[in-house]
Amino acid sequence: MSAIGKLLGHRTFLRLLGLVVGAVFVYASLDKLARPDRFADIVHDYDMLPLTLVNAFALAMPMVEMVTGAALILGVWRRAAGLLATGLAAMFMVGIAQALLRGLDIECGCFDVSGMTSSKASWDLFARDAGLLLASALVWRRG
Amino acid sequence: MSETTEQKCESGRCSPIVCPACVVATRFPQAVRAVLLVFLAVVLAAIANQVNLLGISWELSSAGRVGIPRSYEGLLPEVPAKVALGMLDSGDVIFLDSREAKDYIKDHIPGAINVPMREWAKAWPKVEGQMPKDGRYLLYCYGAKCGLSTRQAKVMLELGYQHLTVLEYGWKEWCEAGYPTAQPPEGSGQ
Repeated sequence: MSAIGKLLGHRTFLRLLGLVVGAVFVYASLDKLARPDRFADIVHDYDMLPLTLVNAFALAMPMVEMVTGAALILGVWRRAAGLLATGLAAMFMVGIAQALLRGLDIECGCFDVSGMTSSKASWDLFARDAGLLLASALVWRRG
Repeated sequence: MSETTEQKCESGRCSPIVCPACVVATRFPQAVRAVLLVFLAVVLAAIANQVNLLGISWELSSAGRVGIPRSYEGLLPEVPAKVALGMLDSGDVIFLDSREAKDYIKDHIPGAINVPMREWAKAWPKVEGQMPKDGRYLLYCYGAKCGLSTRQAKVMLELGYQHLTVLEYGWKEWCEAGYPTAQPPEGSGQ
């Protein structure tokens, strides 16, 4: 096994990776949980869900992020949380990609939804989510 | 967890009884735990939303809009185009166009000020001086569910504006009714 392969499978490395991914998810959930109305507006902008599901999604998704992040940080059901994190990251990537391909000029809704300074959906954010997906998948598969 | 629980015997031949839930739990334990985490999250989300003053309904608002905090219900009335026309004629209501500037320049309600919601941070400081806190406002965007006008109204409500009304079916209804429009930009937040 190569040195990189050994590192990626190392227990301490995977625990640290789980902590980092978990912290990202917990941080990402905070503003959305505080302002579900603003997050619902952003979900609406992505134009992927029937209107009747937008509010429910905007309420549930941030708490899924929070629970996933907390499980990763605490090491409770870490692999299951890694699976959830992988799914969430994949969903973010699909959302951003479809918005960009359709030419939608919308806020990302990744971290900040309360202020007017949040990032626009972009390929940079898509790449960042791809990194998050890889890290989450490592925790899921090898954690 | 075992996939089988007991034996089923018929005509002297016994075969294990397969428990489908046990099979799933045995073969996909991470998936089952992930589903349980999602259930936990939904329960916690319901509790958090209940205690959040800015909590929203799980369904659309009574006016069929997304993202309206329960505490704002009733503070953002919607009116049809006919009522808005009366407001325009009265001359004491400020019309705010929440659409993008390029659409506003093409056509808009006469006298409306463009404050593109998607460019709010840039647009608002340029027009804020024309917006008395005690003024009456009518906000509109593209159509019934475009959301930009309601979003702008929410922000203005938080800034202390109280007399805010949203055009229910937006610019689309206004045009379909054949009400007056104006092409030249008379004011823009851009």
